[in-house]
Amino acid sequence: MKKQMVAMLLAGGQGTRLKELTYAVAKPAIPFGGKYRIIDFPLSNCTNSEIHTVGVLTQYQPHLLHQYIGLGTPWDLDRRNGGVTMLPPYAEADGIKWYDGTANAIYQNMKFLEAHQPEYVLILSGDHIYKMNYMLMLDFHIKQQADATISVIEVPWEEASRFGLMETDEDLQIKRFVEKPADPQTNLASMGVYIFNYQKLKEYLEKDAEAEDSSHDFGKDIIPAMLGGGEKLVAYPYKGYWKDVGTVESLWEANMDLLELDSGLVLHDSAWRIFSSNPQLPPQVVTSTCEIQESFVNEGCIIEGKVRRSIISQDVHIKEGAEIDECVVMAGTVVGAGAKIRRAILTPDLDIPANFELQKKDGEITLLTKETIEKWEGSGDDAFSGSN
Amino acid sequence: MRLAAVIDATVTIPGLKELAMYRSSASIPFAGRYRLIDFALSNIVNSDINSVGVFASQQSVSLMDHIGKGKSWDLDRRRNGLYFLPTSQREGDQLSVGSFAALEDHLNFFNKSTQPHIVVTSAFSISQLDYNDMLEKHLASGADITEAVRDGECMKSYIVSKELLMKMIKGFREDRVVSVEDIVNLKKKPYTFAQYEYEGYFVLINSMESYFNESMALLNEITWRQLFLPERPIYTKVKDEPPTKYMKGSNVKRSLVANGSLLEGQVSDSILSRAVEIGKNSKLENCIIMQKCVIEENCDLLYVIADKDVRIKAGSVIHGTKEKPMVIRKGSVVFEGEDV
Repeated sequence: MKKQMVAMLLAGGQGTRLKELTYAVAKPAIPFGGKYRIIDFPLSNCTNSEIHTVGVLTQYQPHLLHQYIGLGTPWDLDRRNGGVTMLPPYAEADGIKWYDGTANAIYQNMKFLEAHQPEYVLILSGDHIYKMNYMLMLDFHIKQQADATISVIEVPWEEASRFGLMETDEDLQIKRFVEKPADPQTNLASMGVYIFNYQKLKEYLEKDAEAEDSSHDFGKDIIPAMLGGGEKLVAYPYKGYWKDVGTVESLWEANMDLLELDSGLVLHDSAWRIFSSNPQLPPQVVTSTCEIQESFVNEGCIIEGKVRRSIISQDVHIKEGAEIDECVVMAGTVVGAGAKIRRAILTPDLDIPANFELQKKDGEITLLTKETIEKWEGSGDDAFSGSN
Repeated sequence: MRLAAVIDATVTIPGLKELAMYRSSASIPFAGRYRLIDFALSNIVNSDINSVGVFASQQSVSLMDHIGKGKSWDLDRRRNGLYFLPTSQREGDQLSVGSFAALEDHLNFFNKSTQPHIVVTSAFSISQLDYNDMLEKHLASGADITEAVRDGECMKSYIVSKELLMKMIKGFREDRVVSVEDIVNLKKKPYTFAQYEYEGYFVLINSMESYFNESMALLNEITWRQLFLPERPIYTKVKDEPPTKYMKGSNVKRSLVANGSLLEGQVSDSILSRAVEIGKNSKLENCIIMQKCVIEENCDLLYVIADKDVRIKAGSVIHGTKEKPMVIRKGSVVFEGEDV
């Protein structure tokens, strides 16, 4: 059946800058906000924007992602017509073709797109936290009679050189795309959200596939080729919360933004819910010894200790006397009595011993893993008793 | 699969009338994020039973909305699964489980089921009863009907063969009995009876007093752990609420808190359902606050049960007592100084 717009979600990224968090899972599967995984955001945006046909392109560590998304039920994407389709690399008679670049991943799934015959294709990535109505962007794209529209956000000038930037004229028509320039001329950064007229996209992907010197990347190859070909590319200015959570620091910051009243990231919003796979756990128990300030706490937790400015995921037990300050605690972790942890992301299912200490100064963030615990030599007292 | 199950949700609980004005007793909220029927349904699916008939009385909109096609309990099956069976009974017999008049309305459920034995239970008995184990003991005893008991107290859950249950349904008027429970209580001849001894969490919610006390008992971590067993989860309708947010200045202690709430005030010894808001400088003690209630700023609530969607305006003072908690009806708005 013909579809107006089909979404293609690029979820194959490894996210090496997230270190141990991505050893076993792809970046889009990383937990966020005490309950979610990063991919819940683009998927829920699709559902809330009434885009009901979504292809999810996976490659690196796909198992958890495939299991997590399943038939797409939590996002209402379990549909007879369309719905969610997982698109890992596949084998043909002449061998397995791994995805080689973002554009190549879409090119290799042209059969999927052909089956739906969309007028427009929405390209998304699975590593950003934001809430966005893609239909408003499509309205803009149609009104501008563009061949491609790229969603952009104003970033602080001092950070602009970390992003792919769009130089535009006053009508928002894109003149030049520059990837991470040393001397930025604009602060309009690409959000990694593109709408293409399908026929144009197909034409340029096919050309790109032939080009031997291409890295088959949307930003580096397809967009410049379209600009060179005289196509109309416009920037869609997005005003709202958007964050690339590609590093331990930015992942921590995005979690902390949930606690700020003016960050623009609001999840208590019944008009634009972020859907997620719900693990069916009992309500959280807070005891008479607990102290919780400015924090997010999910179901299934038992909180006996002190929690300040932290995000606590499901099924976490914080024992009496423990102090958690400015931390992101992922699911299933037990924090032993008297442990003191400040400014860390705690990976899932840790068993943190009693009186464990890891306190970072302002401006520092660390990842607390099983290894960190194994390496820990104990507090002064324990080390002393251990040597006897 | 040797067992099918019947949940008699036509039963009314006299003392809980105030919480069941707009809903069936079976869909009264309990333990923060659940409805009473969740416990019966979860027990059934945790015992690997996947054919369930929910017999409902006329006040069944909220119950139907809650259980739907049974997806949350994995009961939306092609074969077997959940059957929602509304009955012509205006009100079931008070606190008598397995009403024959209700079961008679849907004899087809029994005709079609392929399972030779039937669990008959209700929504107001909360436990972690394993019906598979109970069936083993039932078959070994050779009795016609087995009832589950804990410390001698009847748990109002029974196992009987389908054949015998259908015979009882057909002959109940002549036999001058009203329900399965009635037959067991009367030790009606010629049937033979056995008891299944259960150990573990069990409460009967059969009055406002037991509703309040058993809710509050869950604040004790030991009790909480007895009911919420990791290997036998309690399933409920999924709402996609975000985690609860504790704001600056909040002070929440010794409470059971569901997701989606925004907490700014002081709360102790209380149960907060999903998506509740507690305003600045408000103080709640010994309260049960149900889904989507808003308690504005500077309120003082003691021994209050606020039903779903209640709004308590800023500055209100409402004090009930342990013996008689103040119940505020679903959807009402309470203004400062108003008598409730």
